[in-house]
Amino acid sequence: MVFLLRRLAFYVAALFVAITLNFFIPRLMPGDPSARIIASFQGRLNEAQVEAIRKSYGLTGSLWEQYVTYLGSVARLDFGISTVQFPEPTASLLFYGATWTLVLVGIAIFFAFIIGSMMGIHAAWNRGRFFDSVFTPINVMLNAFTPAVVALLLFYAFSLQLKWFPLGRAHDPSLMPGFDLQFIGSVLYHATLPVLSIFLVSFGGWHLGMRNVMINLLNEDFVILARAKGLSDRRVRYRYVARNAILPQITSLALSVGFLLGGALVTEQVFNYPGLGKFTFTAIQSRDFSFIQGQLLLLTMSVLVANLLSDIANVILDPRLRKG
Amino acid sequence: MSSDRAMIEVRNLTVDYIGENSVARAVNGIDFDIREGEAFGLAGESGCGKSTVAFALARLTRLPGLVSGGQVRLNGEDVLNFDKARLKAYRWNEVSFVFQSAMNALNPVIPVSEQIMDVIQTHKPELGQQGARERAVELFELVGIPPRRLDDFPHQFSGGMRQRICIAIALALNPKLIIMDEPTTALDVVVQRDIIEQIVELKSRLGFSVLFITHDLGLMIEFCDRIGVMYSGELVEVAPAESILTNPQHPYTRALGNSFPPLTGPRVRLEGIAGTPPDLRALPQGCRFAPRCPHAMDQCRVQPPELRYYPQHRSEAACHLLN
Amino acid sequence: MSDIIQAKPFSLTEALDREAMASMAPSQAELMEELRVKPKPGWTSRLPPSLAAFVTNPKGMAGVVILLALVLFSVFGPMMSDYNPNRRAGKPHVAPGYEHVLGTTRMGKDVFTQLAYGGRISLTVGFGAGIAAALIGLAIGISAGYFGGRVDDVLTFFVNVILVLPGLPLIIVIATLVEQASPLVIGVVLALTGWGWPARTIRTQTLTLRTREFVLSAELMGERKWRIVLKEIFPNMLSFFVGGLVLGTIAAILAEAALEFIGLGDPNAVTWGTMLFWAQSNMALQSGAWWEIWPPAFAIMVTGAALVLVNFAVDEITNPQLKAGRKISLIRKFLKRRGRSADVF
Repeated sequence: MVFLLRRLAFYVAALFVAITLNFFIPRLMPGDPSARIIASFQGRLNEAQVEAIRKSYGLTGSLWEQYVTYLGSVARLDFGISTVQFPEPTASLLFYGATWTLVLVGIAIFFAFIIGSMMGIHAAWNRGRFFDSVFTPINVMLNAFTPAVVALLLFYAFSLQLKWFPLGRAHDPSLMPGFDLQFIGSVLYHATLPVLSIFLVSFGGWHLGMRNVMINLLNEDFVILARAKGLSDRRVRYRYVARNAILPQITSLALSVGFLLGGALVTEQVFNYPGLGKFTFTAIQSRDFSFIQGQLLLLTMSVLVANLLSDIANVILDPRLRKG
Repeated sequence: MSSDRAMIEVRNLTVDYIGENSVARAVNGIDFDIREGEAFGLAGESGCGKSTVAFALARLTRLPGLVSGGQVRLNGEDVLNFDKARLKAYRWNEVSFVFQSAMNALNPVIPVSEQIMDVIQTHKPELGQQGARERAVELFELVGIPPRRLDDFPHQFSGGMRQRICIAIALALNPKLIIMDEPTTALDVVVQRDIIEQIVELKSRLGFSVLFITHDLGLMIEFCDRIGVMYSGELVEVAPAESILTNPQHPYTRALGNSFPPLTGPRVRLEGIAGTPPDLRALPQGCRFAPRCPHAMDQCRVQPPELRYYPQHRSEAACHLLN
Repeated sequence: MSDIIQAKPFSLTEALDREAMASMAPSQAELMEELRVKPKPGWTSRLPPSLAAFVTNPKGMAGVVILLALVLFSVFGPMMSDYNPNRRAGKPHVAPGYEHVLGTTRMGKDVFTQLAYGGRISLTVGFGAGIAAALIGLAIGISAGYFGGRVDDVLTFFVNVILVLPGLPLIIVIATLVEQASPLVIGVVLALTGWGWPARTIRTQTLTLRTREFVLSAELMGERKWRIVLKEIFPNMLSFFVGGLVLGTIAAILAEAALEFIGLGDPNAVTWGTMLFWAQSNMALQSGAWWEIWPPAFAIMVTGAALVLVNFAVDEITNPQLKAGRKISLIRKFLKRRGRSADVF
């Protein structure tokens, strides 16, 4: 409990740092976002209108007042009004996009973590043999092929050339969203390639991580003792080695969420998938700051929540953290 | 207490470590027996290969180690040739192991009960869950730990208790031989005493043999019946425990004895052994101890001495000085 | 009777031979030959041990050779081309051929020339950001680990914050605000956000070193703290520093490509990332102009793969345990030839 409370305190502090950064970055840069909007009207605005625009960006009053106002609106999950999809509130766009991104990243992480870790276990157990010497380097190299390139390759091969998969969207536009088989099937069909490309650039990391932690554990006395006891290979491998190796993996899983969400941005762009990334892309092109800032906060929060979940998982899985 | 019948015969055992650019011969063709009910000690500086021998006996040699030659015979069968099924039966039924650091010898994330019961259930599936648990309770009582703590995790026990649990696990299947690799080194002196006394008591009650490894020569002499002294991967002397200190034959044994304070009597100045052991990747041609030996002769630098039995001293030694 | 004997997998004499072979150990020299252990090449004897280990590591050297080839290509490639990467050099979407080795873009720019010029910037930004991030990580990691106490608490807090802040979204915020982020801006931002991992590993390493004898004895001799850091701790951090640098560079190259691909970079700068951006916005794939998109994609992939190879080598040096299994197949063969059970672990 003490452990979890300490971690929770850290996450609150980290969130505070992120919010503060988010507040100060635009204000430290030359030319605040509102200036560009105002300039785009080429002087056709009167004083009151200019003031109204500045107010909508929270740019009136002293810095301290602005900061307090900002904290207040963040607390109410009010990220302002979108300039692209006017007058849609940014928050609802963010949450709509985040839902689809979560579908992609969630499925991809799940498979990448399970399959990558299993491969890592296998590679470590048979270290130096065929699987390990061929697939470990290949899988890790896939990890270093940027998401953009892998997504483009898949898109080119399966959507453009073979036409097995659609050219965009999250589901067939003629279907009404609902929990029926046809709709879910359509969602999965549209998500296949994006998920596959996120999977391909991420499972190698789990493979290598699990393999290296496992190999180091093979030298631990308790593993040698387990072997000396004549336990079955399976039992030594899973109950003694992998059971311990999974703990640091869960911690890095949480830390990687931010990276993966960033990668999804590119993937969605390639596959024309209506997730957070796609919206961010449009927001970048139209310089919709409220959205861009909102996505940073939303993603930071998701990373922090993921970290808290991983801490809880660690407390459940590691009895040493439970004391005190 | 111990009979003269050899239980384990080690012949010409050779273990190498396969390095990136070289091969280090950690154990070079050693021969010795462990008799039934006996406590046999292996002594020597760190890095002399004593643990490597113990691991090879238990078929636990790990990469990059390789048992490159020799035999370990158990009732005429060569342990090094055991196939998977025979090896599984050999492990823990015949030979069990107690490690130096009890902290690391127990899996930190699963309860202790599971770590005792899994070995019982693997080898005696007929006992079932219930039977295995009863046996675990029995074992806990045997080593003096309240059985209600069976389901605790390793970190909830003190160092001494953890080592007792390791001993309980080692006793689970009534093995013929228990290998103890520095079992008390990580413990403080008082706890160390308790544990050794307990091992002595259990050994006389249950009649297993012990291969005892420690760098604490005093402790070893007290506990063991016979002692083998290793230097640089070779046995230089094998003799009854008492004569290792009182009547050492090999100059290295003598030096080793001198570098330990006696347990009783006036304290003498520690006499360390000058020089360092040879590089195992490029060994000297003759006797390996010659470069550090105060009595080395010309012959010692060319011809390696062989381990030979000297009946008048009741000991085996490998030294040209004795001829 | 003889039939029965022949039906056995091997004859008695053969079995005895195998037994004799098994009990007689080969000499160390014979063993080295059988397991193909090669003595250290003489020319590496003057190098520091970790460097010697690196130059004899096949994976690492393969990575270095590929990286060198890429660098040479970007340095000398532009000299082999008569075209200006920013100017129209021919008709739009000319397929690869004699005039244009890798074809032209939709704008009629020469892809080969762009690729070589783009390499200069992409590699510079990648390595620059990687080195800078590793240096920041080194400074913070060593300070936190060595000075401990309050300093450690504060620095570790910031390391952890930087680790949980999602990198790419943060960069997007900054890059959007500066309008079009030049490669220099992207590099600086990547360096400022990428030092979390190296700082964390180096802090852990410093903590284990701090209690080592040579550091303690230097302290007892009254050595100044910053001299201990430089003379005793830093040399031991070198391989971890290089590891951080390599990982940082991979991350920076990937992030740079991603940022430019989504249009946050300066579209007029010629880099591999902007090449991908233009190819994607011009629908190069849809219109069949594969040569506009694959060369930069391939260049990024090869760079990533080469860095991964180097990272494997560095991992094996900082963590020798990872290499222990290298000879496993030969060791199994060795045992099987002697009729021994080959349960190698």
